Amino acid sequence: MSDSEISESDIYLQESVLFEKGRKYLIRANSGHGKSSLLNIIYGSNANFDGNINYDGSSNHNTFSFRESKISYVFQDLKLFPDLTIFENIQLKNGLTNNKSVEEIDHLIDQVLLSHKRDNLVRNLSLGQKQRVAIIRALCQPFEFLLMDEPFSHLDEKNCGIISNIVSQELEKQNASLIMTSLGDTSYFDYDKILNL
Amino acid sequence: MLFKLQKKTLIISQIIGYAFTLLIGATIILVTSQFYFDIKPLLSQETDLFKTKAVVVSKNITVFKSINKEKIYFTDEEIKELENQPFIKNISKFNNASFKIKAYTKESEKVPGFYTDLFFESIPQKYLDVETEEWDWDPSLDFIPIIIPENYLKLYNFGFAQSQGLPVLSKNTISLIEFNIKVSGNNQIKRYRSKIVGFSNKVNSILVPEDFLLWANKEFGRGDKNKTSRVLIEFKNPSDKAILKYFNENNYSISKDKLEFSKLVFFFKLALLFVFFIALVIIILSISFIIISLNLIIQKNKELILNLYNIGYNHNRIAKFYQIFISSTTVLLIIIAIFISNFTRNYYIEKIVDLLDFTSKSNYILISGMSLIVILIFAYNLFIINYIKKIVQPREEKISKL
Repeated sequence: MSDSEISESDIYLQESVLFEKGRKYLIRANSGHGKSSLLNIIYGSNANFDGNINYDGSSNHNTFSFRESKISYVFQDLKLFPDLTIFENIQLKNGLTNNKSVEEIDHLIDQVLLSHKRDNLVRNLSLGQKQRVAIIRALCQPFEFLLMDEPFSHLDEKNCGIISNIVSQELEKQNASLIMTSLGDTSYFDYDKILNL
Repeated sequence: MLFKLQKKTLIISQIIGYAFTLLIGATIILVTSQFYFDIKPLLSQETDLFKTKAVVVSKNITVFKSINKEKIYFTDEEIKELENQPFIKNISKFNNASFKIKAYTKESEKVPGFYTDLFFESIPQKYLDVETEEWDWDPSLDFIPIIIPENYLKLYNFGFAQSQGLPVLSKNTISLIEFNIKVSGNNQIKRYRSKIVGFSNKVNSILVPEDFLLWANKEFGRGDKNKTSRVLIEFKNPSDKAILKYFNENNYSISKDKLEFSKLVFFFKLALLFVFFIALVIIILSISFIIISLNLIIQKNKELILNLYNIGYNHNRIAKFYQIFISSTTVLLIIIAIFISNFTRNYYIEKIVDLLDFTSKSNYILISGMSLIVILIFAYNLFIINYIKKIVQPREEKISKL
């Protein structure tokens, strides 16, 4: 990264950045500036960095076990399984913790207007539909932090509204934080802090 | 759900290929090894009539040797060399009588009169294949027990007696006939009563008790050194293939029957070993085949595996499906192989029992099959776990280093 880019950064210029529970953060940057990398680093799937990541003040932890109960992640490339149906994709994740009942999952699918496609293979969905599936899948586990990597990039206004409502409710229910990345400003959530990369 | 997802990653044709080759390989290996165990006693001659596993060895007589008789005798060096052979357990020399012997009867109603020159030899009693109570020589009794080859009796009964119009004799009758022996040498003559007390199948000679012969050689013998033209050799294992080679190289003649058998055993073992080896190759190929296939499946579905890992499935859970699938396929196939092998065994045992005196040995098919299962399953599970771990975990290792 060049000096001029770093000089604008709210994160890389500071010695440490603290993400607290129960709050909403927006990380804003242009394409290629490392939004996904940052989330991957937090999620523990990218180890190419210098420095330390502490969870609850400790750097000695097994990030993998966090994936079941502490951190949920809506990947930018979604990481859905094209050969499974919508319901199966969600159940695959839910099965790890049995966080939600079948009825709850069906209700979520219904809320994002995909109930007619519940048993369709994900490979046959549009990108926007897939994005909705990925987001509700991420809600099917206990978490303290929800990471969302450009979750609304292929969604229209109406769907963005629906999704942000569902996510907000779930965040409140679980008293969890949201760390969301975006190319520009978005007003779907009441962010406690907006950070530039 | 996970299984449904992973089921789609399997390549059925490859699994069938694996199943087929493993089944064939395992069946052949189980059958050949069991077959070997079953017939081993027949091969190693534990059921042999001759407990001592001894054979008579002499030199081959050629035209040259018949002119120069000395060459049919074993020299001391040759005997020593024989003693040093690893497959030979013990050597005993034949003792020759070095005095003149004549046998005769006075003509009576029972037996026709005869008068013939004779020779005597002796071997240690433990190599005799004749059991008789009359074999001991008592110097005070003037009686010499004699053992002749059974062939002589056959020759007389079926050849001589037939053509000369003489009566045929059973072993028992012969044993009842007493005749006289005249021993002479060293200017001494002594007469003995004698009787045939047994018939040997193994030793082609006219035998008298060894202590008699040793004594008589001193008493009547020409005093020249006792030459050895035949030796009795006791083998450690008569089917040792080195035996035939050694005797052929040294141009020794050996009572062939046993060694023909051991030649046969040698080739038979070789053939069995060859089949076993082929089966082993088939099994190794089938294992490599399934390993390559798994490798391919995992590489082809690397993204799926990484995605699973990313949404929270650890490598053990990802590997579980492949482990269960390969393990159960392997177990099933080897169980089938065990059944086929048992069936085949029952079949060949039925045949063998018809032909030979055969007592059924323990059945190792189940235990060898089970060992095969344990080894294969252990190897497969280790491979799958480690391979999937390698795919998903380079990142984690880096993290733990930080």
